[in-house]
Amino acid sequence: MPNHDKLNRQDPSFFKTRFVIVGCLIFFAFCLLGGRVWYLQVLRGDELRTRSENNRIRVEEIKPLRGLILDRYGATLVDNHPSFDIAVIPQETENVGRAVELLHEFSRDFCPPATLADGTALRRGYTPVTLERDVSWEKVALVETYSTMLPGVIIDVVPVRNYTMGDATAHALGYVGEISRNELQSPAYRDYRRGAIVGKSGIERTMDRYLRGKSGGAQVEVNVAGRTLDVLAKVDAVPGLNVVTTLDKGLQQACWEAFDSPAGSVVVMDPNDGSILAMVSKPSYDPNLFNRGISEADWERFSSDPRAPFKNRALSAHYPPASLIKPLIAAAALDQGLITGEETIMCLGSLSVGDRTFRCWGRKGHGALNLYQAIVRSCDVYFYTLGLQMGIDVIAEYAYRFGLGKVTGVEIAGERPGLVPSTQWKRQRFGEPWHRGETVSVSIGQGFLSATPLQLVRFYAAMTNGGVLYQPRLVERVESPGGDIVESFPAIEQGRLPVSREHLEQVKRALWGAVNEPRGTGKALLRKERDVCGKTGTAQVISMPDDDDDGEKQKDIPYRFRDHALFVCSVPCDDPLITVMVVVEHGGHGGSAAAPIARKIVDWYMENRVMRAPESIMTGSYDDTSTRRSHED
Amino acid sequence: MKIDRRVLINFDWILPMLVLLLCGIGLVNLYSAGSNIDYGNVTPHYVRQLYWIGLGLVMMVVAFSIDYRLMVRYGYVLYTLSLMLLLVLFVCGEVTHGSQRWLTLGGFTMQPSELIKLTMIIALVKYVDDRYEGTSFGLSDLFTPFLLLLVPALLILKQPDLGTAFFLVLLFLSFVLFAGIRMKAFLFLCASSLALLPGLWFVMKDYQKERLVMFLNPEHDPLGAGYHIIQSIIAVGSGGLIGKGYLKGTQSQLKFLPEQQTDFVFSVFAEEWGFIGVIVVLVIFLSLILWGLNVARRARDYSGLLVAYGATMIFFFFLFINIGMILGILPVVGIPLPFMSYGGSSMVVLMMAAGLIMNVSMRRFVLQP
Repeated sequence: MPNHDKLNRQDPSFFKTRFVIVGCLIFFAFCLLGGRVWYLQVLRGDELRTRSENNRIRVEEIKPLRGLILDRYGATLVDNHPSFDIAVIPQETENVGRAVELLHEFSRDFCPPATLADGTALRRGYTPVTLERDVSWEKVALVETYSTMLPGVIIDVVPVRNYTMGDATAHALGYVGEISRNELQSPAYRDYRRGAIVGKSGIERTMDRYLRGKSGGAQVEVNVAGRTLDVLAKVDAVPGLNVVTTLDKGLQQACWEAFDSPAGSVVVMDPNDGSILAMVSKPSYDPNLFNRGISEADWERFSSDPRAPFKNRALSAHYPPASLIKPLIAAAALDQGLITGEETIMCLGSLSVGDRTFRCWGRKGHGALNLYQAIVRSCDVYFYTLGLQMGIDVIAEYAYRFGLGKVTGVEIAGERPGLVPSTQWKRQRFGEPWHRGETVSVSIGQGFLSATPLQLVRFYAAMTNGGVLYQPRLVERVESPGGDIVESFPAIEQGRLPVSREHLEQVKRALWGAVNEPRGTGKALLRKERDVCGKTGTAQVISMPDDDDDGEKQKDIPYRFRDHALFVCSVPCDDPLITVMVVVEHGGHGGSAAAPIARKIVDWYMENRVMRAPESIMTGSYDDTSTRRSHED
Repeated sequence: MKIDRRVLINFDWILPMLVLLLCGIGLVNLYSAGSNIDYGNVTPHYVRQLYWIGLGLVMMVVAFSIDYRLMVRYGYVLYTLSLMLLLVLFVCGEVTHGSQRWLTLGGFTMQPSELIKLTMIIALVKYVDDRYEGTSFGLSDLFTPFLLLLVPALLILKQPDLGTAFFLVLLFLSFVLFAGIRMKAFLFLCASSLALLPGLWFVMKDYQKERLVMFLNPEHDPLGAGYHIIQSIIAVGSGGLIGKGYLKGTQSQLKFLPEQQTDFVFSVFAEEWGFIGVIVVLVIFLSLILWGLNVARRARDYSGLLVAYGATMIFFFFLFINIGMILGILPVVGIPLPFMSYGGSSMVVLMMAAGLIMNVSMRRFVLQP
């Protein structure tokens, strides 16, 4: 403070005028405020009080209708339908209890919610309190008829989601619910408001930005009780956009009906562009239950179910690929030049590696087999041998390039990456070196190796379409409510299999044999057209003791230890239209549990989508009245 | 630091009493403003406001304990620190309601633009104090003060927070005019701000323009921006002479009022307590401000005078802009009402401003630092 003493002493008179001026200005400003308050509260008080009591103007949000979700042919998968609620405005009724009693007199089955009993919901209230949700038409009529006797009781109309296929599409389409506190705080939901209805899973969630639309507002005149008297001005809500999926409603229904086991999944993919035509996961749940907030009992039932009905098994469940990996091993061995199609390997029923003996599922041994025969009969020893020759890291490299061990990038959330083990992975994960015996397990799709059904269907789609790996896709395009295309989502090629066309053709021929040869494992798909190529798989859940007899009946083993049954196939073999993947959890053998399901799906598809042109189907078997467009291809 | 006995003897009791009185009225009013909200598990506003008052009081003690001359000596440092907070906000702040004003530090959310109001005043005092030669300022002397205003004002404008930027300009003008300015510089200042005004229109966001147009003609779009003004005027006016009674304001209880915990909290008060209640509160605020000017007048030195004056003007502008807004004589800008609106940052800064005035008041007889 250099000049503190000399200069900064205040001279009281110096600022005196300024203080007077400032004081006056401030006083004047207060007089201005006071005068304005006098004008508003005293001079215009009565007028404004009348306005506040009789002519209440309030801005109310008009919620937009959520967009529809359609199948590839335009059939409705999700639309909206009105739901009627009985509500009461506490301030307008003399006594809420009396209103409830009256309602009960009119309609015996009227049951007020428990929250009414303790009166907490009725503290102060102009806000309607919901008494019963989603009531029948009869009750609506009843309340309207006796409305004079029921002051303050109103009918609220709320649009809710209607999932036309219920459980069958629950996992692919998802469900909606009120935005959660966590979601509100996350940057992805930055422009959402409290109370907004958002997609919680599946396509509802991924495509929420398109589906949700834009809220409008209305300036409404309401009376003292908050009841709307008149709408003064209105900005209409903009309805959400419609999402056209790649799903095929008919095929989805066929898959749902064909899958008759308690747990597992079905995925049907178009191998030519990665479109998912059907996706079923069981056990399932009814997404319509979430419309108005799921009841506690239902939530408890679903969330405590050990079989996890909310899990989309098509992309969130890991399974050992089992024998489904064998064509990959074969293709890799061909590509590496370790073997030719004609060279044979001798199977004597088991193979010893170090001090362990690995058995073939055919106890007596398959004898000398070439590649074709090895795949047809799914010989384990053949692939043990090839796997050991290649080593785990080469297998891992091929598996990775076939799309295993990483997420496929399908639009909906919850996808898991599966696992492709390697020496490096094991060192990092367990700090242990890789054992040759583990390579043997991986060669037949067991051990550490795991994959999701979606990865496996895509891998087979690529094997049978000439080697192109597409990103699986569920959304075809987004349309305005009028049907104009807003945005298209084209097929995305993610890569090509690292195997030449001839080698792939060789493997594919063997896959045809696995279904159509008399000794093939997938004989359930042997149609009179002989047009299916596919592979069975039986994934061990636990390894059975060595002395265990393979002939042991699966039904003698406790359910949770039974093998998973897998089957994948493409049809028609020469130029596939669909690739079908079926997993039956704890179903036993792939050939006997999973293949018959795939058979029904393939039969349905060839009958309804190939033999008969889709146009005729649109008017024929579809009972859906909202079908709007013919097949586009 | 040795505490002079005279400091304690001259402790200013009037200011904290007025502040606590206003906080009390504010809490009672916040309870009413929030009574139609179903808080569920969330802490109600009036309870959270208690925490903020507590924190504010602590900061008030800090603000009067440290000798203001020490603060002025480090005026530029304080200023730079709060400017850096603004810059941090600029880079990684949180966006709410479409603008970037909050900074979250370990779960504690603050608005650096509030703090800069205080530190800008202290920095200005530092500048004026260093150069004071008993004469008024010419144009060239104004360069540095102008820079002290411009940097934060532009940063705040970019957030965008037109109200706070405008607030800083008002604060700056009131300070410079009070400190003394030559006629030529004064005319230049007037001319340049007039020239800048149209340019501001292009900087403003759509919603800000909307609010300005609405202010001029609220019935133009009663659904959008004009709605706030109309509902606030109805709320205030319908209170009449004696008000509708505590917890009985229909405008607020029916949720007609926007932002009724924060910027429009006084509409709730005016509706429920009427003209009499409003006048009582206005008189308390007027006493607070006149007391602040009185402290400035009696300050021992030039810097003390200016610090007390600047802090008092912060109170005045907050109050005038907020009440002017809810009465429909000023456009809708996000300026809260001191001690009565819910909000942490403004509460803390206003408590600190009160602390600064007390600081000057209690050291008026202490000559040596």
